Amino acid sequence: MPVPAVLQLQSGKVMTKLVTAQNLSKRYGTLQAVDQVSFSVEEGRILGLFGPNGAGKTTLLKALLGLTDCDGELSVLGLDPFRQRRELLNSICYIADVAVLPRWMQVSRLIDVVAATHPRFSRRYAEELLSRTAVRQDARVRELSKGMVTQLHLCLITAIDARLLILDEPTLGLDILFRKEFYGTLLAEYFDEQRTILIATHQVEEIENILTDILFIHNGRLLLDAPMESLGERYLQLVTSGDKADTARGLRPLCEREVFGKRVMTFEDIDRTRLETLGELSIPSVADLFVAKVKGAAL
Amino acid sequence: MIANQLALIKREVQEHRSFGLTPIAIASVLAIGTLALMVIGTGFRDVIDMVLLGASIVGEAERRAMLMGLLTLYTLVLAIAMGIVTVFYCLDCLYAERKDGSILFWRSLPVTDIETVISKLLVALLVIPAISYVAILATHVLVLLMASVWVETQGGSATHLLWNGAALLDIWAAILVIVWAVPLWLAPFIGWFLFVSAVVRRSPLLMALLPLAVLPLIGLTFQSRLLLQAIWLRPFRIPLFSADGVAAVMDRAEGDGHAELRQEMVSLVATFDVMQFIASPSLWFGLIVCGLLTAAAVYVRRYRDAP
Repeated sequence: MPVPAVLQLQSGKVMTKLVTAQNLSKRYGTLQAVDQVSFSVEEGRILGLFGPNGAGKTTLLKALLGLTDCDGELSVLGLDPFRQRRELLNSICYIADVAVLPRWMQVSRLIDVVAATHPRFSRRYAEELLSRTAVRQDARVRELSKGMVTQLHLCLITAIDARLLILDEPTLGLDILFRKEFYGTLLAEYFDEQRTILIATHQVEEIENILTDILFIHNGRLLLDAPMESLGERYLQLVTSGDKADTARGLRPLCEREVFGKRVMTFEDIDRTRLETLGELSIPSVADLFVAKVKGAAL
Repeated sequence: MIANQLALIKREVQEHRSFGLTPIAIASVLAIGTLALMVIGTGFRDVIDMVLLGASIVGEAERRAMLMGLLTLYTLVLAIAMGIVTVFYCLDCLYAERKDGSILFWRSLPVTDIETVISKLLVALLVIPAISYVAILATHVLVLLMASVWVETQGGSATHLLWNGAALLDIWAAILVIVWAVPLWLAPFIGWFLFVSAVVRRSPLLMALLPLAVLPLIGLTFQSRLLLQAIWLRPFRIPLFSADGVAAVMDRAEGDGHAELRQEMVSLVATFDVMQFIASPSLWFGLIVCGLLTAAAVYVRRYRDAP
């Protein structure tokens, strides 16, 4: 049964589901790129989509953008992305990669084209944002550094009054300064409680502090779909050694590794009191949890 | 929709600078070449200006024929060049965006694939011919002005020898018809090039010309040259000229088959039968083929799906 797009919570707050996917599957020949994936994204959230190379992230994003057709049910802003792509693109934006802006084009002409074709684009705001960067409007895209191209792209999409922003490895190949600036600008200039961001990236550590939800995908299957605030309730990381490690191992951790001679284990849905006596407990980072889930799935 | 089309067409013109640079370069070469020929032609100026003498002693009809021949030559050179530009544009326009990855950016805008491909077709069918027309007229005017300055400085009358020598408005009206009729007539080739541009992963020119190698084999297999002739001969079978009109330009000599020039000014436009062209089933068949190939290009751009 399709999930309703608007939910009335007990608190009275109306929660709008921008994305609803149910049993989404996509096969390319013998490759099952996405396999029975179900999830939803609510308004005003920042969702991190993580997965190793070839996990199915890009296929999933392509399905959300209407660039590929999938089996199952998919609704983005109440629309069928594949069949109502044009209507959808009035309200969503995406950055696929830093290299996709046309290199031959002059910055001012790029702004002209977006202004002429996108009804929700504010030229004034784009120019204002651009004036805060080193990007000159008379420069051609090919004359800009990778970081400046990303800045330009971000200025363009930030100036679009879109409800959903999809980013696929937006800071790939950029140095740490540009990466920090990118996410800083994203939060300061774009994000608010009516807007939603979906970010697919490998650079987990850099964005985990801005995320509200995470989605892990591996071999086309969904490994985890959880709000960040629930991670502390469901997952624990134990640092232990010696006999206690053997005891802890008996509690079936998701994953175990060695760090500086100590055993580090990640547990899922376990009573905290059972671990407290066995070593030092903490909430795993998203990166550690990702590794644990992927390794756990491989076992 | 219209605003999107205008923006997309403007983008195409900005991207493909060869639309402007090619005619400018060719016009410059033609103008300089003409001037050089005139200077060389007056190499014996101490005795007499051969160009002016030549232009003065021949009859009105011969001078007119000479002028019209020159202007036609300039038109032909520019038209062939712009035809080549059109071929390369069509082969590049849907291929380059995939090659450089910018298709992902263009497809992030609320513009449909139909709108995008149609804009490229319109550029080939309408915009490049319009640019060609302006370029041809500008070249004619430029060459005539330069020649006028030269003739006047040499003591001749530019008005008499050049400007009144040919029916310029008639020539320009004829070119106006031709620059739009020829692309329409060759629309199936334009559709084919767009389709190839949307489909191939590499070497679009090679892939576009591949049928030229395959067609003879099909002809041998089916013992029919119909398809081969339909493709090879189409460019030369444009049904734009009326038999009566062509006869009006030339007086056919009885018996030996040689043609002689008429003495009175004849109209090039009068050689056209536009209604015959518009009513030609071959034109509409070609446009349908172009439409189908363009639709196939849209389909490929829209539904191409790879992991």
